[in-house]
Amino acid sequence: MLDIIYIAVTVAFFALMLAYVRGCERLGRDETGEERS
Amino acid sequence: MTANGWLQILVFSLAVLAITKPAGLYILRVYDGSMRWLAPVERLIYRVCGIDPDEDQHWTRYAAGLLLFSAVSMLVTYVALRLQNHLPLNPFARGPVVDRQAFETAASFTANTNWQSYSGETTMSYFSQMTQLAFHNFASAAVGVAAAVALARGIARRSDGRIGNFWTDLVRGTLYLFLPASFILALLFVQQGTIQNFAHHVTATTVEGAKQVLAMGPVASQSAIKQLGTNGGGFFNANAAHPFESPTPWTNFLSMFTIFIVPAGLTYTYGRMVKNQKHGWALWAAMFVLFAAGVTTAYWAEARGNPIHVARGVAAAGGNMEGKEVRFGIANSALYATVTTDASCGAVNSMHDSFTPLGGLVPLVNIQLGELIFGGVGSGLYGMIVMAVLTVFIAGLMVGRTPEYLGKKIQSREVRMAMLYVLIFPAYILILTAASVLLPAGLTGLNNAGPHGLSEILYAFTSVTGNNGSAFAGLTGSSYWYNTTLGLGTLFGRFAMMVPMLALGGFLAERKAVPESLGTFPVTTPLFVVLLLGVILIVGALTFFPALSLGPIVEHLLMNAGRVF
Repeated sequence: MLDIIYIAVTVAFFALMLAYVRGCERLGRDETGEERS
Repeated sequence: MTANGWLQILVFSLAVLAITKPAGLYILRVYDGSMRWLAPVERLIYRVCGIDPDEDQHWTRYAAGLLLFSAVSMLVTYVALRLQNHLPLNPFARGPVVDRQAFETAASFTANTNWQSYSGETTMSYFSQMTQLAFHNFASAAVGVAAAVALARGIARRSDGRIGNFWTDLVRGTLYLFLPASFILALLFVQQGTIQNFAHHVTATTVEGAKQVLAMGPVASQSAIKQLGTNGGGFFNANAAHPFESPTPWTNFLSMFTIFIVPAGLTYTYGRMVKNQKHGWALWAAMFVLFAAGVTTAYWAEARGNPIHVARGVAAAGGNMEGKEVRFGIANSALYATVTTDASCGAVNSMHDSFTPLGGLVPLVNIQLGELIFGGVGSGLYGMIVMAVLTVFIAGLMVGRTPEYLGKKIQSREVRMAMLYVLIFPAYILILTAASVLLPAGLTGLNNAGPHGLSEILYAFTSVTGNNGSAFAGLTGSSYWYNTTLGLGTLFGRFAMMVPMLALGGFLAERKAVPESLGTFPVTTPLFVVLLLGVILIVGALTFFPALSLGPIVEHLLMNAGRVF
């Protein structure tokens, strides 16, 4: 049972990190009005 | 303190200075693709794995590849540790690693931390040591350098957010850098007497007539990569203090020196990549100043010893020898403790818990500054670059101009990423330390009361989140609370900081380079180094100052008043 929980925690953590990548990308896109040069 | 001790520290420092340029040039050739002597093997790996080595990845794709590789390799290790009793190379019939320890170990080795709540020689089969832990020692080191090189590419080029190819960086780093360097270092260790075998444990009779079991195993090959890759996880519980791992003064020197080779070399590589070698040396200088300050403080504190022992006439000659290997003495113990915590290595040749309060404060602060004093392989450089970005941002605010870093304008989204990077680290450490001193599950693992107990918990969370992995000892980390929270700490400290760092690289890659003007803050001068040091100390040290004042600082004051813990 605990094996399943630890594996689920691992999968959930890396899924969270992939969502975090998207979040950071969105934070960057919010700056569209800002000068990019 | 002795002249001999200072001379050894000086020789070590000069050796690091001397290796920086050749190592940096070698690393540069590895990652720009001009190193080709293993090209057939490299091509075979790409073909088998379906990798297109010419693909230039957007930073989001680079980060996704890095995360997926780490996730899959961590899960494989978890399963392998749980099933090691069914796998080969298990001559002592070791049982499965306990679930919580398997999680913590898999997370910790994937994150280049190597925090261990078990004794390697009595828990792991040779199969687990050689195929799982050693695999991560190579792979996590290569991932770290790949991430740093990707950030450097983002700064150096204009590429619509593209920062290289994660898979080729991973393969090249492993194939051309860590595998050959580890092979050579392992041979040097063996030549000096470090053991390398698959023999059964040896039972010896001591001079007092007692029986002692001596652990054997493939130690030299494991030790080489754990030093070079700043991993630190020991084959033996005593790590680099064990005479079978580090039998001579030369192995002790090599053990320390090899921790700094790649991190120091990367500053030179970075200078070449961004075509500003003086800036690379400026980063090196900032790292060296912090290293010198740390080793001086640790050596002074340990040589001074415990004033209570001195007053009672029971002090060891030369200072505080508790927890130190007599063969290495105080200077080499203080130097090793500083080096291993400057870099995110975590190998030890003495027990940091037995240092005096101020001596123990040095390793703790070294990690809390963000593991950027040369730092972990890759992570030291990218941590320092993030601080450099913050430095030019602050300098830009001072003079009222848009900050620029190496020709790229720093605007709000870059600063957001830098702040995410900076804030995640203390947040996890301080919140989990506070929870541990409040919850019964956290307190049951504690063996020391008072400020020393707080230092032990603070050190544990600092060590894992900083991906260092050295232990302060005194804390029983083998429990569901600690195994789980410390395991998660290694993951947050690695990947939750890597993502905004890669985003920073991607964002900078999108920016057009602007020519230097009179208003550009120079990043090659002593003034820049001083300002950079100021930012590092303010961000790192002041964030943790309240916690440190309740731990090692108050313990030092109480020791001077006659109380020990």
